[in-house]
Amino acid sequence: MFSRSVLRSLTSDLRLSAPSISTISLPQRACLHQTASLRNAQQQSQTQSSSLNPETPLSATPRAQESIPETSIHNIIPQTRDDIPLAKQPVAPTFTSPLEVTKSLMAQLPHLVGQTPHYVTAEIHARPFLLTAGDHIRLPFLMPKVKTGDILRFNRASALGSRDFTLKGSPHIDERLFECRVRVIGVESEPLRIKEKTKRRQRHTKQARSKHRYTTMRVMDVRVKSPEELLKEGAVVIEDAADSPQIEARS
Amino acid sequence: MKRLQLQRWSSTVLSPRARTVNRLHQHLYSASLRHQSTAAPLQSEPQDASIGTNFEDPEVMRQVRSAHKRKSQLQYPSPPVEAATNSAKLAALHARLYLPSRLPVQTLARTLVDASADPNADFNNESLATLGHDLLTYYTSEYLLCKYPRLPLTVIFAAMYAYVGPKTLAAMAKEWGVDLAAAPGGEVDPGYLQFRRVDPGTDVNAATDDVKTPRPYANAAKWRKTVTSKIFYDDEFGDPIKGASAPGEGVTAEQASATFVRALMGSVYLHAGRPAAKRFFEQHILSRSLNISDLFNFSQPARDLARLCARENFEKPVAKITSETGRLSRHPVFVVGIFSGQDQLGEGAGASLLEARERAALSALKGWYLYSPLNVRVPSSMEEDGASPWEPAHVDLGEVIT
Amino acid sequence: MPVKGLRTVTTAQNGVGAFIHQCKRLDFHYCKYGGSSRGMLAFLTQTLPNFARENPQIELRVAPRPGKHPVIKGQYVNGREKAICVRNLEPIDILKKAMILKDASGDKLKRTKKPVTSINESVRGIWSPYHGDLRGV
Repeated sequence: MFSRSVLRSLTSDLRLSAPSISTISLPQRACLHQTASLRNAQQQSQTQSSSLNPETPLSATPRAQESIPETSIHNIIPQTRDDIPLAKQPVAPTFTSPLEVTKSLMAQLPHLVGQTPHYVTAEIHARPFLLTAGDHIRLPFLMPKVKTGDILRFNRASALGSRDFTLKGSPHIDERLFECRVRVIGVESEPLRIKEKTKRRQRHTKQARSKHRYTTMRVMDVRVKSPEELLKEGAVVIEDAADSPQIEARS
Repeated sequence: MKRLQLQRWSSTVLSPRARTVNRLHQHLYSASLRHQSTAAPLQSEPQDASIGTNFEDPEVMRQVRSAHKRKSQLQYPSPPVEAATNSAKLAALHARLYLPSRLPVQTLARTLVDASADPNADFNNESLATLGHDLLTYYTSEYLLCKYPRLPLTVIFAAMYAYVGPKTLAAMAKEWGVDLAAAPGGEVDPGYLQFRRVDPGTDVNAATDDVKTPRPYANAAKWRKTVTSKIFYDDEFGDPIKGASAPGEGVTAEQASATFVRALMGSVYLHAGRPAAKRFFEQHILSRSLNISDLFNFSQPARDLARLCARENFEKPVAKITSETGRLSRHPVFVVGIFSGQDQLGEGAGASLLEARERAALSALKGWYLYSPLNVRVPSSMEEDGASPWEPAHVDLGEVIT
Repeated sequence: MPVKGLRTVTTAQNGVGAFIHQCKRLDFHYCKYGGSSRGMLAFLTQTLPNFARENPQIELRVAPRPGKHPVIKGQYVNGREKAICVRNLEPIDILKKAMILKDASGDKLKRTKKPVTSINESVRGIWSPYHGDLRGV
């Protein structure tokens, strides 16, 4: 055990220096969570968290620092992508062919783009969530490998629309047609639930406790790309086919 | 809680810095007599020299230094500059707001000192707040005018108030986790927002007599003030310009928090440049949600709509029942549409024909006023590097005047 | 005067533009002699510097509280406080508790049934019985 004075000095030192030491701070928030394991998991709804410090604009790059404690040498915080092992880097979306848009969709898309606001029915673990910009989501599960402040892009949507028009996917819309970004706000938990488990002819009751934790998110924007943007990104216009997605107007 | 410091009282009373000026430009010409160095302050009597202590002894020197430090802390009405680097609260606030690293914590500490706490313009946030206020109102007004070119002026005033009014800015400071100091002083942690509070029992809404407005006949009670004249004579929210508060007076927590947010905007602009300031504005102010259609308060929508149609050479608006139910029951519902020729301008439902007509006219007017062009650009977007050529923004005829 | 403006205040949507971390302060209390604080003492010396470095947005305070169990308290932007007792816990478990406090929003725990809460108006409008033609059955 320490002597009291040593501990005092230690703690006062900590109190003074803790926040100012904390400098190599945010760049490593980029912590690239969507790893290979997640890629293999059948849930693909949120692919690459567009990691790299969500606040790049006003980035909190380390401020002046006097001393780096020795502990930081042992677990180096990754600063660039090179510091991260290949298996843990985010998976870039790979597309074998350019986006194909039918002529009729190209003709109708300006109507959808021009009418704001938009909604999107994003699917996570095959569950639909109807989202508009600014919504607060509490996922029904704790999402692994995300940190608060991360920005994710939902890439699986079954419907995308405005007041009078809806683009329905069959079963999903190509992720290059829209952008839906969400930010992880934190982790919430439910109040403790106690369930009494009883068995027949027995006075003993068992108490099952559960207190689940859930990831909360905020939808940053829901945006439909305009035809010009699609063409700029290399979309190819093709003839209509029977099962090609269509924009439905409200009847 | 802060202890009362007798030395500080006496120093403020005796010091030549106690002045009665209040506006910024007046401060700029007054010489500052504040010395913030680790050296002994001017007022302190030369004590160590006579005693002749051993300057080699580190223990003695440490005590001397800490005594000086304490004395220098107590001497000034706001925390010394050196204290900013030692404040955990301040560093945490810097990181929490993702402020640019080019913005030093010392400046952040200065934005937290209100003019009521430290009347010295070199150490309070008044100059930064003036700059930040101008930036905030400029960015907001250009956004509103380009995004909604047809908004009536009164609604623009209300929207400006909603985006950058003191209430909103105070709410933002609270959501940023900025704590308020109980009372200002040099020994307070610089991470607290320091200001002198209003004395209890003061009527904060009392009309001040020394109104600094340039408006002629401002004191004539029954003189009509047109909305247009508010652009010239009043502030950006359509309120008459108030004279600055007297130097000895405190400010409310709301005013102090709003001044802090403005000062922070100004300091981001000064230290990190225009793009960072613009991003700061977009991320913290424009990202807040405001439903502009809730800001309208029409008194006679049907008459306004008729005037509008006459001005725009539309056909006269006609109200027609499109659907109804239970006319003879206790709860009838009428759905009335307003048509101009073949075009339906608006629709509304109500429990009586008049109510439904009013609502229909209301929705038609809101549909007109809330027109928003696609892909709007604001003039300040031309300041970015590699901006595409400017396309003129839509400028509307203006609101309907009856 | 044809139309008046009504004064309101914009509503905050944390995370849409800037993201403000909701936990603003963590207080670590320990006892120097108590056996239940042994893990806490190890945590304070070994893990806390790293934790502080990774979370610059949180103000950390370490204070002794002799004769009591060790406690972590979190102060939140909304003015509430959450406390977790960490007696007899290992440093790794204490770190988990600190992470819980760090990620929490500070609100009271609520049981919610709907995953999405929105302050926006319905995008497609509300169904009305007075519009549209009657459909054949």
